Amino acid sequence: MSLIECRKLSRIYNRGAEEIRPLDQLDLRIDAGGFVALMGPSGSGKTTLLNLLAGIDRPTSGELEIGGLSLGDLSRKELADWRSEQVGYVFQLYNLVPVLTAYENVELPLLLHPISSGERHRRVSAALDVVGIADRHSHYPRQLSGGQEQRVAIARAIVTEPTLLLADEPTGDLDRESATAVMELLSRLNKEQGRTVVMVTHDAKTAQYADVLLHLEKGRLIEQEEMAS
Amino acid sequence: MAGLTSRNLAMFQGGVNMRLLPLSYATRNLGRTPSRMVLTIGGSMLVVLLVLAAGGFVTGMRKALVASGNENNTILLGVGSEESLERSEISMQAAGILAASLDGILNRAGVEGISPEIHLAMPVSLDESTDALGEGELMLVRGITHNAWIVHDEATLLTGRVGEAGRDEAVLGKLAARSLGFEPAENAIDRSIWIDGREIRVVGILTADSGVIEGEIWYPLTDLQVLSQRDAVSCVIVTRDGATPPQIAAFASRRLDLELAAIEEVDYFASLSAFYAPIRTMVLLTALLVGIGAIIGGLNSNYATFVSRIREMGTLQTLGYSRFAITISLLQESILASAVGALLACFIAIFILDGTAIRFSMGVFGLHIDTGVLAGGLLAGFLLGIAGALLPAWRCLTRPIPEALKTTI
Repeated sequence: MSLIECRKLSRIYNRGAEEIRPLDQLDLRIDAGGFVALMGPSGSGKTTLLNLLAGIDRPTSGELEIGGLSLGDLSRKELADWRSEQVGYVFQLYNLVPVLTAYENVELPLLLHPISSGERHRRVSAALDVVGIADRHSHYPRQLSGGQEQRVAIARAIVTEPTLLLADEPTGDLDRESATAVMELLSRLNKEQGRTVVMVTHDAKTAQYADVLLHLEKGRLIEQEEMAS
Repeated sequence: MAGLTSRNLAMFQGGVNMRLLPLSYATRNLGRTPSRMVLTIGGSMLVVLLVLAAGGFVTGMRKALVASGNENNTILLGVGSEESLERSEISMQAAGILAASLDGILNRAGVEGISPEIHLAMPVSLDESTDALGEGELMLVRGITHNAWIVHDEATLLTGRVGEAGRDEAVLGKLAARSLGFEPAENAIDRSIWIDGREIRVVGILTADSGVIEGEIWYPLTDLQVLSQRDAVSCVIVTRDGATPPQIAAFASRRLDLELAAIEEVDYFASLSAFYAPIRTMVLLTALLVGIGAIIGGLNSNYATFVSRIREMGTLQTLGYSRFAITISLLQESILASAVGALLACFIAIFILDGTAIRFSMGVFGLHIDTGVLAGGLLAGFLLGIAGALLPAWRCLTRPIPEALKTTI
């Protein structure tokens, strides 16, 4: 059953007289519970597609449906609500809030939800446990290594139990050992919790954790590769 | 809401997007760059202090002039000198002639409410050498008889006694004493002041409901006549008790030989207040201009701060926080800093500025920091916080989220 459907999805930017098309008439289906890696050279449209899936950018034309909901029809406020409920986003540079502790960073998305403080505490602790960083809950980002910061960022992304987990080069700023740990964590979240993961990566080793590789070039899907499990 | 689907409606009812960032986020952001926090708080404090000083100046001057007029008093002064008692000269005989000519003048325990007075601005020093150089502080010296205490019933002795003629004794107004450096004013008792080469002992301190009298030196009339080498007095002040202002005006116009003009004391101070109105406006305008300058400075400083956090703002929006929620947090941060500055300024104003003696051509008056002035200062601090943050926040938050996330500052 497909979770994401793109039909003739285009995103066009105008830079002066020049028209830039990072996504050009893209057709794509991603199944629920899948682990998809988006690959391709710089400027191929990977991050643009990820931004559209996250609801932080809007298509210029075409249809984008996620879970049967057409994102193009939502207002900015509705999109923000939808993001807080349905999307977890992992950034390449972690993007933790430096003035908040690991616990508070993970708690941040939950403050948007009408749940009790007890329930919030339970969920934050569980998320920190899942990523194996519960013992660092009171540390500030500057007191953590890159790998630990990314684990906190993943905890923040999964704490709201989103339908869709998006990751933009999640290992791009990590050493090999930390990268392996992060990828194993994302793979476990996909397999054990059934979360749909869409990840942008340049790294072939990282891409091996995915079930499906999508190769983009000049804003179009040029190859879809099923990975052997 | 009619066009919303049931899913969207549920979303609105949940109110997810109206949730704000925790206040701790704003307070901790404030401490992110300690030097910036100190500068913001210090800048806000100085601006609010200026607003409070300007407000205290205006209120103090107005209060001094309003409190100085007694509605039963009429001033008889020289024709053509209605705008300044210090320029007026009338015959010493005027007081006696008036007492003999008019009924309906206050009489208390045999002392009539008719006070002949000299008003002179003279340099006053605390030591002989300064006095010899003529470098004393210019202050209003009022030559009085005992009748002055009946006519100016707002004047009361705070401590000490009334000065006796022929003994070089004077009573200082509370503000005059503070203006000469006696803090508290009572410390001036038994100390000497020097006026025009004469050593005068302070024997009393008077108060007068914050009126201009508090900034004066009261010296026996005959002693001042000797000191200033003049026979004439500046004016005669009369307290009516049945007599009417037109009757006194009629007396003044009938006695052409005395060259008198009659003016009600409240009218005299009202005209003085009107005369100084442009000064008050200038003071307020200066405070306003400095405040506007501070807001522009705050805009720059806040923009520099916020622009360095654009990626973080993009992240918060990606998590689902609305621009409104982030704007509120940035405003909280800015208002917190300016409020701390404003509170510090209020403490300084209450404990240091309030009552500070200000020398002015009308005499000495005290800065008056009342609740209205404090409220104005706090409001200025609050507005400084809002105005300084709103535009930078709007500029930073209107960037598209993908662009904000790519920012590397």
